[in-house]
Amino acid sequence: MSSKKGIQDKTAPRADLAEVLAAKAQTLDENRPEAIAKRAVTGHQMIRQNISQLIDPGSFQEYGQLAEPAFKNLQGPADGLVIGTGTVSGFRVGFMGYDYTVHAGTQSIINHAKADRFLQVVESLRLPLVLWADGGGWRPYENNINSRDYEETFAMMARLSGLVPTVGVVSGRCFAGNANLAGLCDTLIATPKAALGMGGPPLVEAALGLTLTPEELGPAQMHEACGAIDVLVADEHEAIDCVRRYLEYFRGADGQPGSDPDTSALRTVVPENPRRAYDVRRVIEGIADQDSVLELRPKFARSVVTALAKVQGTPVGVLANQPMYLAGAIDSPASDKLARFIQLCDAHDIPMLYLCDTPGLMVGPEVEATALVRHSSRILNAAINATTPFMTVILRKAYGLGQYMMGALPLRPALLVGWPTAEFGAMGFEGAVKITHKKELEAITDKKARQVRERELADELRAHNTALGLAGRYELDDVIDPADTRETVIRFLVSLPPLAPRTGRKRTIDNW
Amino acid sequence: MPREIRSVVTGTVYQIEVAAGEQVKLGADLIILESMKMEIPIVAETDGTVIEVHCNEGDSVIEGQVLLMVDPD
Repeated sequence: MSSKKGIQDKTAPRADLAEVLAAKAQTLDENRPEAIAKRAVTGHQMIRQNISQLIDPGSFQEYGQLAEPAFKNLQGPADGLVIGTGTVSGFRVGFMGYDYTVHAGTQSIINHAKADRFLQVVESLRLPLVLWADGGGWRPYENNINSRDYEETFAMMARLSGLVPTVGVVSGRCFAGNANLAGLCDTLIATPKAALGMGGPPLVEAALGLTLTPEELGPAQMHEACGAIDVLVADEHEAIDCVRRYLEYFRGADGQPGSDPDTSALRTVVPENPRRAYDVRRVIEGIADQDSVLELRPKFARSVVTALAKVQGTPVGVLANQPMYLAGAIDSPASDKLARFIQLCDAHDIPMLYLCDTPGLMVGPEVEATALVRHSSRILNAAINATTPFMTVILRKAYGLGQYMMGALPLRPALLVGWPTAEFGAMGFEGAVKITHKKELEAITDKKARQVRERELADELRAHNTALGLAGRYELDDVIDPADTRETVIRFLVSLPPLAPRTGRKRTIDNW
Repeated sequence: MPREIRSVVTGTVYQIEVAAGEQVKLGADLIILESMKMEIPIVAETDGTVIEVHCNEGDSVIEGQVLLMVDPD
């Protein structure tokens, strides 16, 4: 028979355990009201709140919760870096998040050691990595500490490229070493409060004499336009939702068919007038499961659209020309956007869907001055050396090297189909007839009459290169009813072989 | 609340399809822009009434420029 007192003695922590529990409790938000209040001023959550909203309850195994700053005059729960393994919607991840309330999320001797250790764990267990990157780079207070100043964090992060999916979040100020880690992520999600840059305001002032706030130096909108971030969301809650959604594209088919979109609208999305533009995102929405499309870099290089989506629950990477911008022509930024996206899909075995409607590569001295010769080659290099299967739909224009780079036959698509509006040419017909009929056209002195003849000749070429003409010469596997595009993509996905289990890296992913 | 309808690209105003005071239906063409030899329609996002047109055919416009004001129903 045990007395009530006896039970208490057995269950109450002994002094040694009580000391550990008290030390752990000190790192938790409920014992850090001042830090919470400080975050509230800028409208931010605590890093542990973000973790509790992202990581499944009870699944977080923290590493280094009891670590302290090497510089003993400083206080800093977990030395400002919260890391651990856990699950998101039941799937395993590694999480690494800097705590902005600990010396502005700076990188220190001890938290670098934590990061190095954890990134090794992530690599060896091949855990998809979520990085919350906000922080000010190196912690200058620790400059005077006698250490070798040796860390592998950035090298370790770079080693993950292509091995595991990496997704970063920036929801506040993020500079120098922290920004470097963000830049090493496959995909970067940011909120309007993000201020991101390699060199922070103190360095800019010292080097250039410019006094700027972090928000002036690296505002989120600027990074959205220049392509440094992939998705801009409203706030931290949306960032967490976006991370959760993003990770879902890297797990293969989820077995949930998703809800069918309205596919009938696809019959009319390409206008009858061949000069009329349309929004290719409507085509993607008419193919993918409802609410499954996540567009990456939407405000950068807008003549192409790159999006992760699901078709009957199977992840697909969609690459499309966007006739609304530059008529869908491919310039240097568009080349970079396509090439990196191909690498992302290929590294993680996501099948791809090309939607082609391009007049070709962009022309003119301005674009040549951007090294289009080199940038455009990146698409072909990425595509031809990728092994993830893909299919191509020619929606309308498929001209020149532009169409070659948009999943044409020489790239060996698993399936190549056209809509009835498809038209092909090695170069634009108007440009071609100017060369082939140079003498005849030059002989026409009246400008208007010459234009009419040019158009006639171009239309003759066009008539020869319609979808039916192409199918007759067997340059297309099929010409399909646009409303059946989703069904066609489903049949392509069903035709794919099962994936062999991955034990290592297939390829790296370019960070640009 | 009248809504500003902005240009989605830099280009020229090719055709104006509506006039001030006109009723428009969701999806109707309001203005056709031209850029890179392509006609880019600006369509009504709701049913409504055109309040003012701020451009003329042939005008050069930049991305984000207000083209017209529509009062949604």
